[in-house]
Amino acid sequence: MVPKVAIYDFTDCEGCEVKLVSIREKLLILEKRIDIVNWRLGQEDNKPGPFDLTIIEGTPITQHEVDLLKKLRQDSKVLIALGACATLGGIPAILDKKERAKWYKKIYGEEYKPRGIDALPLSAYVKVDFLIHGCPIDENELIRIFQELLAGKTPAYRGYSVCFECKQANNPCRIINGQPCLGPITQGGCGSICIKGGSPCYGCFGLRQEANVKGLVEVLQGLTDKKEIERYFTMFLSRAFDK
Amino acid sequence: MEFVIEKKKIDKWLDDLKKDFKVIDIRGKALPAKQYFLPPKQKTFVFNKKTKKLSCPEYKKEFLVFGLGLADLEAMTQLDEIMEKPYSDFFYWQKRNKSLIIGLVDESIEVAPGGDVILEKITDQQYRALILTDKGKAIIKDEFFDKKDKPSIKNYPQPDNPFKRMLLDSELLAEAVKWSLNHKIWDKLGEQCLGCGICTYVCPLCHCFSIEDQVSLDNKECSRCRQWDACTLPEFSKVAGGHNFHKTIKQRYYNWFYHKFVRAYHEYGKSQCVACGRCRENCPAGIKISEVLKEIVDDYKKHLSAI
Repeated sequence: MVPKVAIYDFTDCEGCEVKLVSIREKLLILEKRIDIVNWRLGQEDNKPGPFDLTIIEGTPITQHEVDLLKKLRQDSKVLIALGACATLGGIPAILDKKERAKWYKKIYGEEYKPRGIDALPLSAYVKVDFLIHGCPIDENELIRIFQELLAGKTPAYRGYSVCFECKQANNPCRIINGQPCLGPITQGGCGSICIKGGSPCYGCFGLRQEANVKGLVEVLQGLTDKKEIERYFTMFLSRAFDK
Repeated sequence: MEFVIEKKKIDKWLDDLKKDFKVIDIRGKALPAKQYFLPPKQKTFVFNKKTKKLSCPEYKKEFLVFGLGLADLEAMTQLDEIMEKPYSDFFYWQKRNKSLIIGLVDESIEVAPGGDVILEKITDQQYRALILTDKGKAIIKDEFFDKKDKPSIKNYPQPDNPFKRMLLDSELLAEAVKWSLNHKIWDKLGEQCLGCGICTYVCPLCHCFSIEDQVSLDNKECSRCRQWDACTLPEFSKVAGGHNFHKTIKQRYYNWFYHKFVRAYHEYGKSQCVACGRCRENCPAGIKISEVLKEIVDDYKKHLSAI
């Protein structure tokens, strides 16, 4: 039986859905094995649930989106979060709440009642069966996870750090060269794309299983100040840092 | 008769070798030479669902790995032994048999540790070729090498490496590491180690891998891949059903030492370490592995004398 698949998006940049489109001919192969019955961004003819698999990109920041997420959970056998906004809160979750309150008052006045909800990962509201991490997601990882699902397997997270792929790419190690990096505690699968491009790893693939966050923070303290370390973690891993 | 090459001619020689071989220059590479014989990720075989046949990728073109130092050459000799005994590793030898290994050594050599040819520094501008195999002999061409009866040979002593001296007594190391199970150093390392796995990736002798099966997106074929694993990673010692033999980094870190210095000694008669120093140079947590080993050995000696 061909599984019925829905692809939804909440607040985000839609870049991870673009990544899904960018697998190109592989999307055509995939499309033969699944029936995409609902995809706002990809097609006009959309049908309501129930769905065998629902993929959700973005994070809910209005009550309407939260309600829809809960309904989608009820309507779906398997629910998968796509991209860092859905898996970790992502870019919308970087927001500084104190600053927001200050600007609310300044722009809208004392009487204004905020309607927005803090950006949280989907898992803060419903049970999520698997997280496809990344900002944006990695095409090869996406394909791997579809392969696993279609073969009837439970998809597995990458058990290694970004460092595995970083060493294969022959990148000079940032930490050894005195520059902060969250690669050692971050789950691999990204191909160390940021470090290859000269940027640090900010952890958009989420924490690796049993990551030694405390150990890395101690290493980073030898390289930079507390405020800067916090800034690194607020990109995607603020929830890990708070612990 | 010696075969001598001018330093400035080495790159030209390598260019010439590219006509017959795929030439890999490992100078400046983060990962050691093992990556060409035991790749970080490798498809071992593919099963075609329609024809019900298995196929295995073939490697036809001979390749040449250039630029190994003394420790790396020694490591390759040891890795060959590991991959031969007790069972021959088909996929390793499939590549290894197609390869040539060329060393480039800036110190005077006492005993050639391995490889097909070693270029040994004899003057500031010259290297001589130590030819160790027939395959190696075939690539020493007159065009690049001068035949000399008695070339001038300067002595370039190997720098003193206390770590290397420590490795000479692999029996003591095996006893000391085995004894150290309850040593406080493992608690400290358990907190310090980030578990990133870099030390095992950069080690020229670490060879543990995990197996992953994949079914292609079009459902036509299945393949079995193997990829490097690292004993500090949590999945490393997990078995079917979810049981984990080494639940903490502390236990896994000890296991790394145990494999290198205890098990290796019992299985192959020597430590699986050549004192190349890569694990120390590349550890983002700044763990100095040679010093860890020294502390253990020193404390073990104290323990022995106290008995």
